[in-house]
Amino acid sequence: MTGIPLNLDWQQILLHLLNFVVLFAILYFLLYKPVKNFIEKRRKAYEDIDNQAKADREEAEKVLAEYKEKLAGVDAEIEEKRNAVLEEAAHRADDIKEGARKEAEEILAKAEQQAKNDLDRVVAEAGDKVAQMAQEAAEKAMFGSTEDAYDAFLDKAEEK
Amino acid sequence: MNKKQKTRAIIIFICLFVVILAGTILTGTAGHGAGEDISVAMKDAVLHETYKVSLFGLIDVNPGLISAFIVTGVFLIFCIIVRIFVIPKFKTIPGKFQLLLETAVGLFSNMAKANSPHSYSFLGAYIFVAGAYICVSTLFELFGIQVMTTLGTPISLPAPLSDINGAVCLGVLSYLVIFIGGVVKNKFKGVGKALKEFSLPISMSFRLFGALLSGALVTDLIYHASVTSYGIPVIVGVLFTILHALIQAYVLTTIASTYFGEVTEPSVKKPKKTKKASA
Repeated sequence: MTGIPLNLDWQQILLHLLNFVVLFAILYFLLYKPVKNFIEKRRKAYEDIDNQAKADREEAEKVLAEYKEKLAGVDAEIEEKRNAVLEEAAHRADDIKEGARKEAEEILAKAEQQAKNDLDRVVAEAGDKVAQMAQEAAEKAMFGSTEDAYDAFLDKAEEK
Repeated sequence: MNKKQKTRAIIIFICLFVVILAGTILTGTAGHGAGEDISVAMKDAVLHETYKVSLFGLIDVNPGLISAFIVTGVFLIFCIIVRIFVIPKFKTIPGKFQLLLETAVGLFSNMAKANSPHSYSFLGAYIFVAGAYICVSTLFELFGIQVMTTLGTPISLPAPLSDINGAVCLGVLSYLVIFIGGVVKNKFKGVGKALKEFSLPISMSFRLFGALLSGALVTDLIYHASVTSYGIPVIVGVLFTILHALIQAYVLTTIASTYFGEVTEPSVKKPKKTKKASA
């Protein structure tokens, strides 16, 4: 036994150290680092998926809130639009009524004018006829019996 | 197998056991050689004075160093195979072997992160290697690989850390890692914190050495007597070795990571005391 307690041998300690350093390099580069890198990569991939899901959820919640807001205002909007449509319809009805009234007045005026024209024409024609009949009656009175002429006048008048 | 066949098998097994036991006792050559004194074997297990193994014909070394080299060789082959054939085929949803590797790496990585939250990148790698080395090299003695000593007698290779040189190496190296971690992270304050734990290398070295040597001594003792070398080694040898492997790996890695965390913790500046106005 040497003077060193427990037979410690510095050379062998250094050989053990060398062995451990080699073992460290082997295990670190061939096993620990690749496996850890894979774990990190997978963790990051899952984290990305998680973040994406969170972002999508936030976006969906935002859209939902927008729709809810729109849905809440849609009743008022419908009422407003309905009133506008009703008002427009009332205006159009008034316009149609006014147009119809004017048309009716025009037709009436035309009809009155037509009737007046017809009356004038009939009266003029009747005057002509009466004059003609009077002339014929006078001619008959002069050339035939008065009775015959009278009968003939009446027959002519009935025919007309 | 029916009851009759079972009974017959048990009887045959007992008969074989008795015959082998009787043969062993009658031939009477157990231990490292005929007539070997147990005290010599046990003393040598502690001091490694008698049985040396030649390292490539250059120097005579303790058998534990040969064990260490073999363990490193086994790790090298295993890691190369895993790196080439297993790791490139890793899947997002791991299989059994992938899960085992990920758990081993994750266990030490997380331990480093939990015990030393301010600096854990190198520590994780160090305790992973140290833990794997302690665990596998302790289990290595179960294989009982025989080598020839310089005296011409065969010897079973022991656990590398049951050699005092191996244990001192790992204990001191762990302390150095803690010390350097403190210096890198906290400069002079780190040096002070690390030096405060001056007994750490000794305690770590001798804890490892004592734990693994005790297992080796008890196993040696049991195997030395033929009568106790049946049945009992299953419990003492295998079970104790497995427990030692796991416990010592856990203990050293926990101690190293805890102290590493302590020395790398950033020191908080104390608020200056305001001088009290003298009455």
